[in-house]
Amino acid sequence: MPLLFNVIVGHETAAIGDDTACGAVGAGGVGWRVAQMSQRTSSRLQLKNLHLAQGHRTVLEHVDGDIRPGAITALIGANGAGKSTLIQAIMGELRPAGGNVICSVPSERRAWLPQQLALDLTFPMSVEELVMTGSWPSHGALKGYCAVHYRKGRDIMARLGISHLAHRPLGELSGGQRQRALIGRTLMQEAELLLLDEPFANVDSDTVDILIRILRQMADDGTTIIIVLHDMDHLRRLADEILMLNGGHARWVAPSELHHQQLPAQAVPFSLGEHHAGTA
Amino acid sequence: MLELLNTWLIAPFDYGFMRRAVVGGLALSIAAPPLGVFLVLRGMSLIGDALAHAIMPGVAIGFLLAGFSLPIMSISGVLCGLMVALLAGAVSKIGGQREDAAMASFFIISLAAGVMLISMGGSSVDLTHVLFGSILAVNATALLLIAGISTLILVTLAIIFRALVVECLDPLFLRGQNRRNGWVHSVFLALLVLNMTAGFQTLGTMMAVGLMMLPATAARFWSRRLEGLMAIAVVIAMVASTGGLLLSFHLDIPSGPSIILLAGVGYLFSAMFGRYHSLAARLRRKTAPLSAEAST
Repeated sequence: MPLLFNVIVGHETAAIGDDTACGAVGAGGVGWRVAQMSQRTSSRLQLKNLHLAQGHRTVLEHVDGDIRPGAITALIGANGAGKSTLIQAIMGELRPAGGNVICSVPSERRAWLPQQLALDLTFPMSVEELVMTGSWPSHGALKGYCAVHYRKGRDIMARLGISHLAHRPLGELSGGQRQRALIGRTLMQEAELLLLDEPFANVDSDTVDILIRILRQMADDGTTIIIVLHDMDHLRRLADEILMLNGGHARWVAPSELHHQQLPAQAVPFSLGEHHAGTA
Repeated sequence: MLELLNTWLIAPFDYGFMRRAVVGGLALSIAAPPLGVFLVLRGMSLIGDALAHAIMPGVAIGFLLAGFSLPIMSISGVLCGLMVALLAGAVSKIGGQREDAAMASFFIISLAAGVMLISMGGSSVDLTHVLFGSILAVNATALLLIAGISTLILVTLAIIFRALVVECLDPLFLRGQNRRNGWVHSVFLALLVLNMTAGFQTLGTMMAVGLMMLPATAARFWSRRLEGLMAIAVVIAMVASTGGLLLSFHLDIPSGPSIILLAGVGYLFSAMFGRYHSLAARLRRKTAPLSAEAST
């Protein structure tokens, strides 16, 4: 397993140490689940012949698919393949140039952790308060919190292993702690649709383990999760469905395809894309 | 000793104008600093200055039409300030220029226009009044106006508080939910304009910003919590406005500058001796590892 990561291209080398550590844990049988989750409801998020452009440059064309509810859908592809663009479109931040995104999740149940955080780390706020802000969209701006909210907030922090940081100001958190607090906010929000753009970048391996467990629990509870991943190990452990973006097109790939690939091809998701281009 | 305290602190308030001035100052001291705290947190500390200039033409037009009548000057000041803020916002939205650049341009134009209008219609004494205020001439109507505006600001701030906090903390969080939160920003700017108008009578358009910004920037050295920042800023503003009034009474100096300078002394003191980020805190931090080792 450790050898595998040596193949990963330059920008990912920083994560190698962490990845090998997780790899050792993951190999023990955590793994991803076979995509046979309950088909509880029809998809609440559908992409219909989606055409996305940034300015005059077409980024993605003919993207189709139903995002399965209660499953973790991974977006993979090279830098610039359009992963973040697709996320923006799903979130309603970018108007599609053609086709549409049909989303029936109410807006206060949608959560988004962008790659480039807009979070102001100098803002005088503690971790607990940040987690509690997750209840604002549904709770309203005027009502006060009651004991139930605080209890829920504390439970969430305990699950994420950040109880001891509850009163720590945001500016003093490490990258991993910050990411846990932000996931805590989406748990507080009871998000039904969660979009994560490379949530494991600059995050320690303990945090990755906890977040993977929490995300899996969220999915089991019915949250639809879309996650941008670069790392094969994370992909293996999390993804129920994989949407691969390559050369302006999107293609659904079964996780089992990744599993049965030869190792060198697995190491870099986008080389896998080229490999499949012929077979598709 | 008591005698001395009486002559310095109590006796001045035997005069009606001093009583009105101090009540007006306290009302402003409750309303303005929380706005200042949010401005500082949003990294918009200089916008207050700009907005203060924006109300100038309105005040001047009111002054030309009705003489030194506070209600009319205030209303036209608010209207003008809002209009300039809207224009600046529109230019940056439509033309794509950054909002601060658009604001800076509009506000300096406003200042020039305001000064020109006033000097066309009045004497230089009037100009000084508008620019630097005259807290000692606050009448009952002006007092009502100041108290009314301050109340309005506090109530509105309480209503939009959470939205404002989220917008400062993480603008993408609410936007991610497809809510258009431009209104929070607009309401906040409107509150700033209102506050300027309440302040210009007593402190002058140039100084009104002071009671809003200085306590807020000083409070940053004392607290790392939002509630703490606001409470400390309000206390600093109250002490500064009351103390400044007394100073101006005893030393026979203009009230606006003496209030703001007192707040400025508070700021410098905080910058040197405050609990966080101050000079003293920096010195303490250098020695911290040793003491931490000793204590464990």
